[in-house]
Amino acid sequence: MIQFAQVCKRYPNGQDALRNVDLEIKAGEMAFLTGHSGAGKSTMLKLISLMERATSGQVIINGKNLNRIKRRKIPSIRRDIGMIFQDHRLLFDRSVFDNVALPLMIAGYDHREIGRRVRAALDKVGLLSKEKNTPIMLSGGEQQRVGIARAVVNKPPLLLADEPTGNLDPELSAEIMKLFEQFNQVGVSLLIASHDLSLLAQMHYRTLVMKESRLVQDQIDDVLEVDDSFEQDNDTNLVRSADEF
Amino acid sequence: MSSESGAILHEGATISARFKMLLRLHKLEARRGLAEIVDNPISNFMTVLVIAIALALPAGLQVLLENGKTLSQSWDGASRISLYLKLNVSNSQTEHLAKSIKDNPAIDSVEVIYPEQALKDFSASSGFADALAELDSNPLPPTLVVQPNVNHTSPLASETLLSEFKQFELVEKAQLDLDWVRKLHALLELAEKAASALGLALGLAVLLIVGNTIRLSVQNRREEIEVVKLVGATDAFIRRPFLYTGFWYGLLAGVLCWLILEVSLIWLHQPVQNLAGLYQSEFAISSLNIKQSFQLVGISCALGLLGSWLSVGRHIRNIEPR
Ligand SMILES: Nc1ncnc2c1ncn2[C@@H]1O[C@H](COP(=O)(O)OP(=O)(O)O)[C@@H](O)[C@H]1O
Ligand SMILES: [Mg+2]
Repeated sequence: MIQFAQVCKRYPNGQDALRNVDLEIKAGEMAFLTGHSGAGKSTMLKLISLMERATSGQVIINGKNLNRIKRRKIPSIRRDIGMIFQDHRLLFDRSVFDNVALPLMIAGYDHREIGRRVRAALDKVGLLSKEKNTPIMLSGGEQQRVGIARAVVNKPPLLLADEPTGNLDPELSAEIMKLFEQFNQVGVSLLIASHDLSLLAQMHYRTLVMKESRLVQDQIDDVLEVDDSFEQDNDTNLVRSADEF
Repeated sequence: MSSESGAILHEGATISARFKMLLRLHKLEARRGLAEIVDNPISNFMTVLVIAIALALPAGLQVLLENGKTLSQSWDGASRISLYLKLNVSNSQTEHLAKSIKDNPAIDSVEVIYPEQALKDFSASSGFADALAELDSNPLPPTLVVQPNVNHTSPLASETLLSEFKQFELVEKAQLDLDWVRKLHALLELAEKAASALGLALGLAVLLIVGNTIRLSVQNRREEIEVVKLVGATDAFIRRPFLYTGFWYGLLAGVLCWLILEVSLIWLHQPVQNLAGLYQSEFAISSLNIKQSFQLVGISCALGLLGSWLSVGRHIRNIEPR
């Protein structure tokens, strides 16, 4: 599903965000991406969704080499990827229903099909009763669930989530993770970036650890061997990122 | 998971279902484009008004020119013939000739200008009165101003009459008085060229106004555009509501421009009629007919659409999700 081969990413300002990253995530797999703030997690997700291009190396998504994808073809690649953001990225002047319907409208579904699928997705995240509200009327956890409904509504085979629980308390975070597990059980591949170690400790999934732009650990079993330096880094980063919000 | 998977319609959709879906989408986007204008009534009314005025100037000039042309056509018929007689022709001879010409059924009226009268008029109007008083003899010939009747005012008929008059022994010189009509035509032609140039310049201005307004509204929706791009929208999809907004600007401005013209022409109607009355003319100023009205609104819509099309593509392309 996702293949990285010797991928490097250097931003125009000279900042190296990824250095020689090799990675493979198979179809139907669910994996976490962790590491301290600035390690390159978001950059990796941006390369997959073509928000950024690799400086060198190959990124292959679902058999398509993204280096060869022309600008014109980017939308059709993105339609096959559900994206979930820390800040939800909802449209605040439209109803919950319209927000979730957006990917279907773009793909040109007919309106009966749109109604059916949007309600199914909202039902899945437990927000069927709020379809007429605007996102402003919802809590942070509910807004995130709207974002998730939008990401899954056209049944993409791959979901990417960048700090999806960053703003949520542990209980709500666990709920969101449960949703992800359910999607994974019906065959969706997921890559979830998070530096919430306590959350990861509860989940028994493959975990990729990044440090200073490199992939330093790829742990398939459930015991995360985190070195001291990372743990320390991460604590300070939790505080720092809490300030950012 | 081909990129086309699931897209468009579920299996078995007929052509007509596809068409209906497309229609529904366009209706939605047309409404969203209009909402964009209605949500912000004051500043958008200003934009529409500016476009309408920019269109009203050349369109109004065009209407006045059309009226000028009808007027000049009705004057073409008024081609008079001036007969300058030989200097030694006596007043009674002049009168006799006038009468015989008047008997011709092709002639409506003959005005006689005797040399004494002509000299008096000339010295009064020219300001050379003193110099003229020094003259021993009157240098001006007796003149007949011949007005052919309406059936003989075509250029050809006038020419025939003219050559007939030239045969007369007492006639020194016969002249068709078409000069000023020709000058009027030249003037109208010039004004028409000027109107076209003005129309071109102001049409360009309308494109810029619409383009700039659309650019601002793209910038205001930057965040929304980023989100829509993230969930896989093509530039064409994002462009559509903005194109509709441009179209609505054009339509509203076109209708407003038409109203401005109609009101101005109604306002001009009475003064023009008064003026025409002074010249014993039946002329009445005419406003836009149905075809011209639709042309005006159509051009306005096209300019709105084109202006937003020229602007929106470039500015949407520059917005990339972060
Ligand atoms: N658009 C950008 N321009 C320049 N540098 C960037 C940009 N985005 C990220 N970076 C830098 O790249 C590195 C990796 O960032 P990022 O992928 O956001 O890390 P993470 O998501 O793990 O916190 C950081 O040092 C960051 O400052
Ligand atoms: Mg990040």
